[in-house]
Amino acid sequence: MPRRPARLPNQRHCPPSRIPAWLSCCLLLVSLWGLPGLAIAAVDRPGAAEVLVLNSAVSAVGTLRDTAFPADKPALKVSLPDDWWATRPREDGPVWYRLQFDAPAQDAGLLALFVKRVCSTAEIRLNGHLVHSGGSMKEPMTRQCYRSQLVPLPAGALLPRDNVLDIKVAGHDLQKVSARQRSGGLSELRIGPYALLAEEHEAQAFWGVSLVQTLSIASSAVGLLVLWFGWLNRHEARLIYLGLLTLAWNALSARILVQQLPVDNATVELLVCIGYAVVTALAVQFMLSHAGLRSRPLEAFLTVQCVAVPLSLVLAGQNHLFVGASAWHLLMQFEVIATIGIYLLTYWRSGQRYFWPVAAGLVGLALLVLAEQAGQLKSVYPVRLNVVHFLMPLVLAGLGVHQLLLFVRNLQAAEAARRALEERMAESTADMERNYNQMVEVRVEQVAEKERKRIAGDLHDDLGAKLLTIVHTSESERISSLAREALEEMRLSVKGLTGKPLPVANALADWRAETVLRLGQAGVEADWRSPTEDLTQQLSARAFVQTTRILREAVSNVIKHSGATTCKVRCSLSEHDFLLVIQDNGKGIPMELDGKLDRGHGMASMKHRAKQMQGQCLVESGPGYGTLIRLTLPL
Amino acid sequence: MNRILLLEDLPEIRSWLKALALQVFPNAQVSEAARVHDALALVGAERFDVALVDLGLPDGSGVDVVAALHDTQPEAQSVVVTIHDDDDHLFPALQAGAFGYLLKEQPREHFVEQLQRISQGEPPLSPSIARRVIAYFGAKNKPQPQQQTLPAVSLTERENEVLLWVAKGFTLPEIGVQLNLSRHTIADYVKQIYRKLNVSSRAEAALEAQRLGIFRR
Repeated sequence: MPRRPARLPNQRHCPPSRIPAWLSCCLLLVSLWGLPGLAIAAVDRPGAAEVLVLNSAVSAVGTLRDTAFPADKPALKVSLPDDWWATRPREDGPVWYRLQFDAPAQDAGLLALFVKRVCSTAEIRLNGHLVHSGGSMKEPMTRQCYRSQLVPLPAGALLPRDNVLDIKVAGHDLQKVSARQRSGGLSELRIGPYALLAEEHEAQAFWGVSLVQTLSIASSAVGLLVLWFGWLNRHEARLIYLGLLTLAWNALSARILVQQLPVDNATVELLVCIGYAVVTALAVQFMLSHAGLRSRPLEAFLTVQCVAVPLSLVLAGQNHLFVGASAWHLLMQFEVIATIGIYLLTYWRSGQRYFWPVAAGLVGLALLVLAEQAGQLKSVYPVRLNVVHFLMPLVLAGLGVHQLLLFVRNLQAAEAARRALEERMAESTADMERNYNQMVEVRVEQVAEKERKRIAGDLHDDLGAKLLTIVHTSESERISSLAREALEEMRLSVKGLTGKPLPVANALADWRAETVLRLGQAGVEADWRSPTEDLTQQLSARAFVQTTRILREAVSNVIKHSGATTCKVRCSLSEHDFLLVIQDNGKGIPMELDGKLDRGHGMASMKHRAKQMQGQCLVESGPGYGTLIRLTLPL
Repeated sequence: MNRILLLEDLPEIRSWLKALALQVFPNAQVSEAARVHDALALVGAERFDVALVDLGLPDGSGVDVVAALHDTQPEAQSVVVTIHDDDDHLFPALQAGAFGYLLKEQPREHFVEQLQRISQGEPPLSPSIARRVIAYFGAKNKPQPQQQTLPAVSLTERENEVLLWVAKGFTLPEIGVQLNLSRHTIADYVKQIYRKLNVSSRAEAALEAQRLGIFRR
C-alpha cells in the first residue's frame, strides 16, 4: 500500500489500494491453475499402456470377522467403481471384492496397486497374503474417503498369472452420512509400476490434502487476525462474524485431513451438520452486518436452526441422516445464496470501492455451494482437487484481507478526520482567543474612552468654569490672559488624553487655521506653506499636543515680543521626520547675560518639549535679524 | 434684533455675556435662563431673534434648546456659546440647527466681532467641523437601501470646495481670495452648508424615529 503523507488535508479521497484487485487476480489465477489439475485427472496418464486397469469384480457381503472372501455368501458381479448407494443400498459392509489379474510384463522394479478411492477403509489381500490394512474396520472407523491408497505388491506374493486380489471394504450406508462423498464404495483399481503410480498418489495427496491443509492454516491465521481486530473493536461485529466463520469452516474442513477420529461415524456426521448450521449462521450474519441489515428475528431464526438441525437429525434416526442433512443443506444453501444476493445489491448501491473483487469472491462462493449441492444429487467422483475445500479457505482469506483493508482504511480516515478536527479545534481556539483579546482591547479602549470623557467633563465643568470666571472677571489683563492660556492648555491636555494618533494632514490644518487666525487678529501677515499632496502619515496624540504647544508659544512670541510684520511658517515631511520652521522679520530675541536666549520667551520649555519627543528645537536669533525656530520631530 | 435668549448657568459669565449681547444689539431685551428646563419654558412662551446657548448645563444639554427653538421659531438664530472647542460637542449642536458657535474664553473684542459677524450672516467654520461635515455627507451619499425615503439633500460642488479648503486649514477670507469670491458669497456657502446639515440631520432623525416606532408596534 502506498504510504500517504501524514498531513494530507483530505485523506478520504486517497487513491484506492491495489491489493484487493491483486488479490482477486491471484484468486482467479489459482483457480485457473487448479482447473487443469481437474482436467488432467480425467484423462489417463501417459504410460497407461504399462498400467493394468481393473474395473470389474465379484463382490459379497461379509462380516467383520472374515479374513478371506466369504465363498459361502451370494456373490454379485459388479463393475468398478462400485457405489454402495447404487448397488447395495442400506448396506454397511464390510463388503468383499475379488478380482483376478495376470501380472503385467515386468522389466524390473516393484509393482503397486493404486486405489483412487475406498470409503471408509479397506484391507487388501493378494493371493491370500495381507498386503495392506487401511486402519480400524470397526467404529470408530478409519476415514480414508478423501485419500487414495497405494499398495506395493511384493514380488514374492505375486504369481505370473491368475493372481487373486481380495479387498475387504468397511464403510457406511449413504443414509448414515450427510454427504455422498462419505458413503461406502470402491473406485476402479490400477496395477502398474510403483514409481508411476506413486507419482499419481502423491499428486492426489498434495491437491486433495496437503494444499487444503496449507490453505486452511493460512486462512485460519487471517481469520484469527480478523477476529482479534473485531474483538478490539466490538462495534465492528462483522469482523467477529467473519473471523469465526473462517475458523469454523476450517475446523469443519479439518475432518477430511484427519484419518482417525476418536468418535463413531454417527457422532462425527452430527457434529458436521451442526458445524454447517453454525457456518451458515455466521456467513449470513457477516454479510448482513456488513450491509447494515441485521435483523433480530433472523438472528433468532439462525440460532434456532443451529439447535434444530441436530435435534431433527437425532429424532429422524441415524438411518435417515442423509435425507435430513440434504434437506437442511438445501435450506442453508438457499439462505447463504439469498444473503449473498442481498449483500451484493446493497454493496453495489452504496457505491463502495472494492465491489468487483468482493462480488467475484462471493459469486465464486455461491457457485461452490451450488457445486457442492450438485455433488450430492449424483456422485461426482473425487477428482484430484477437492474444489470446495480448496477454494473456500481462499475466498474466506480474501474476504478477511478485504475486511482488514476496509478496517485499516476506515481507521486512517478516522485518524485523518480526528486530525482535521483537531486542527479545526486549534483554529477555533485561536480564533476565540483572538476575539477575546480583541474584545478585551475594545473593552479597555471603551473604559479608557469613558474615563477620558469623564475627566474631560470634570475638567471643563470645574476647572474650566473657574478659569473662565477668572478670564472674564479679573481686573488684571495679565491674569485674564494667563487664565485664558491655562484654559487652552487644559483643553489641549484633554485632547492628548485620547492617545489616538491623528492624520498629519488634520494636524496641519488645525495648526494652520489657528496660526493664521491669531496672526491675522494681531495684524501680522501670515505666510504658511505646508505640503499640499495627500499625506498618509499619522501623528501620535502626544506629538500633536506638544507640537501645538510649541507652535502656539512661538506664534505668541511673534505677536507679543517680535514686532514683526510678517511671519513665515514652513512645514515639511520626510519619511521619518517632521520639520516645522517659524520665521519672523521682527527685532529678534535679546541675549541674556549668560549668553543664552531670553527665558521669558519660553525658549527653554519649547526645547524641553522637543527633547521629550526625541526631537530638537533650534532657535536662531539676533537683534535686527528676526527669529527663526526650527523644530524637528521623528514621526 | 430686540429679543435675546441667554442660557448660561454661571452667573458671572451670564452677566458678561449679557453685557456683550447688549453691546452688539444695543436695544435688545435679554431673557436669561440658567437651566435647560427654564430655557425651554421661555422658548415656548416668547419669541426670540437670537439665542446664546451654553451646552453643558446642570440639567441637560443646550442642544435640546437649540432644537426646540429651531422647531418652533425657525427664523431665530441660535448661537452656541461654549467652553468646548471639539467637534464632538459642536457638531450635534450644528445638526440641531445652531447657526454658529463662540468660545467663551475669547477676549471681549474678538467675541463681539464674531457675534456681529454671525448676526450678519457670517458664521465661523473650523477645520475639524468641516472634516465632520465632509465625512457626514460622504457617508450619507454612499448607496444605502434605507436612505431612499430621505429628501435628497446634498452639497453643491462649490459648497464642497469651500468645505475642503476649510478642512485644510484655510480661513474663510483666504478662501474668498483663492476662489475669487466675495466675503458674502463665501459666508452664504457656509450658511447653506449649515442649513443642509440641519435639514439632512433632521430628516435622518425623523426616519430613525419612524423606524423605532415601527419596531415598537
